[in-house]
Amino acid sequence: MSNTIKKTALDRKLDKIRDLEESGKLATKLTNRTVRKIMANKLAVFGTALFLIICILCFAAPLFTQYSSTAISLRDRTAPPSAEHIFGTDQMGRDIWARMLYGGRISIIVGLGSALGAALIGVTLGMYAGYKGGWLDKIIFKVSDVFLSFPQMVLIIIIVALVGQSLENMIVIFILTGWPSMYRMARSKVLSLKEAEFVQALRAFGVSDVKIAFKHLFPNTVGPVVVNITLSTAMFILQEASLSVLGYGVPQEIATWGNIINVITNAGTIRYDWLGYWWMWLPCAIMLILFVLAINFIGDGLRDASDPTQIG
Amino acid sequence: MLNYTIRKLLGMIPMLLIITFLIYAGIELMPGDVIDFLIPMDQLAEMTPEEIEAFRVAKGLDGPMIVRYFSWLKGVCTGDLGYSLQNNMPVGTLMMQKLPATIELSLAALFISSILGVLLGIISAIRKGKLADNVLTIAGMIGVAIPQFLFGVFCIIFFCLNLGWFPVGQRGTTGLLDELHHLFLPAFVLGISMTAGVMRYSRSSMLDSMNCDYVKTARAKGLPEWKVNLFHGFRVACTPVMVLIGFRLPMLISGSIVIENIFQWPGVGRWFTDAVKTQNTPIIMSVGLFMVLLVLLSSLLVDIMTAILDPRVKLS
Repeated sequence: MSNTIKKTALDRKLDKIRDLEESGKLATKLTNRTVRKIMANKLAVFGTALFLIICILCFAAPLFTQYSSTAISLRDRTAPPSAEHIFGTDQMGRDIWARMLYGGRISIIVGLGSALGAALIGVTLGMYAGYKGGWLDKIIFKVSDVFLSFPQMVLIIIIVALVGQSLENMIVIFILTGWPSMYRMARSKVLSLKEAEFVQALRAFGVSDVKIAFKHLFPNTVGPVVVNITLSTAMFILQEASLSVLGYGVPQEIATWGNIINVITNAGTIRYDWLGYWWMWLPCAIMLILFVLAINFIGDGLRDASDPTQIG
Repeated sequence: MLNYTIRKLLGMIPMLLIITFLIYAGIELMPGDVIDFLIPMDQLAEMTPEEIEAFRVAKGLDGPMIVRYFSWLKGVCTGDLGYSLQNNMPVGTLMMQKLPATIELSLAALFISSILGVLLGIISAIRKGKLADNVLTIAGMIGVAIPQFLFGVFCIIFFCLNLGWFPVGQRGTTGLLDELHHLFLPAFVLGISMTAGVMRYSRSSMLDSMNCDYVKTARAKGLPEWKVNLFHGFRVACTPVMVLIGFRLPMLISGSIVIENIFQWPGVGRWFTDAVKTQNTPIIMSVGLFMVLLVLLSSLLVDIMTAILDPRVKLS
């Protein structure tokens, strides 16, 4: 009689895994836990795919449309969707699809650029001043207090009226109004780590403050910072659209998602006569919503993946 | 507690001074001359520089900025908010007309979003991982991704123009029923954008509290499931949700600026955007002061509320 023991289902499963491991198939898979967790999150994968598709469409716009976003053609004004113009033309005969793609470029640059800028300033200040403490920390904290005392929209509107409307100003204003929350987040993280043993050890070795703050404390904040950047990008894109509607956005002649949708509003009020020309604003509105949705899916996936308290 | 509140309130004074000064300086530095907005263009072309100067003096727009700031401040302290540059109406009186509209809208939105958000959050926590939870989570994410004004436009197209259920824009004038009829849609649109956040938060804090021992004890005692969820689970999950709602107050103000414009709601937000366009300093200052005060007070309210709801928190 053979002396093999009858294998249970679990044994078979484990054997399978061992075989895979020995043949080296498991090891070549994604090894980074964060990446692996994101790949397991279906919504995050879907969001990343959607994000990439829209980015490729926008940044490689000339490949997907032969029209320019600014060329006016008065003969084809307000043309409904056709084979020639997929989403029709607007009141000045400009191709909507082309405007959506080229406008997307600007909107994405404004959103992502502002979020990155705000993160750069906020995190740098938060890490260094938070670690150093003292008067520098107190002053910056007070300044951020002043910024956070405004409802964000009120602050943005006042600054827009002050510096004027332009693409560059828009980004600067978003950075100005966005850094305090990034700063607060980085600072609170640093304060909680400041007295940790590894920091004390570094200090005992005589490592400089700058190096401790940026080389050793910074990696601990990367997770929340990246999450914050993605979510801020979505927020800035939405705000850009809202500001366009109120008449405080990027100048009208530059195509952005906000400015394209803006055809149905005039200084904040709805222009009911334009609602019927749905192709002028609805496709672009849907694209904007899909993009923001994609970023939020990514941000959520990143939040779950970078949270060390969740095992996966 | 009283000590803490008084200390915080006193701490607000320098903050308000700095902020109002910054706004005042900001308006002052805005490009363009206020006079251009006050006098029609053809009239302005015929006026001599002396006449313009006399007009400036009459409107109290002469003299260095610092002096004017302090005279504005003195006015505010004595209850005089100044006069609108456009039509010489006292800003205080105008404010009393516009403020109720905004407060009504914000409170209604707060009410809708809190009730809806907490309710949906609880449902999604109880049915965790099931269909209802997934549907609600995705609906919440879509709700956050739609710009408020677009959601407002969709609602107007669907409910007002197609179905004719609600009047388009404006505030109700004849009786309570009419007012509620006008109020519902803008408040709903404003509330929905906040609902997703509240829902998500109450879901996670509900999940936290449902894992606690006392909830398991309650269930082991044989209490009906709804009682366990409501009286044992939800009561503790309430605190963080309250805090979140408090923090959302400023967001409500930001949102109401857009919604008031879309729905032609005669509130402070729309008044503010119009005033900024014409550099109407007294109005911008008054509305700015009001909004900043609201933000500061709501953050104080959050502090106090956490201390009341959670005995472990010590105010210092």
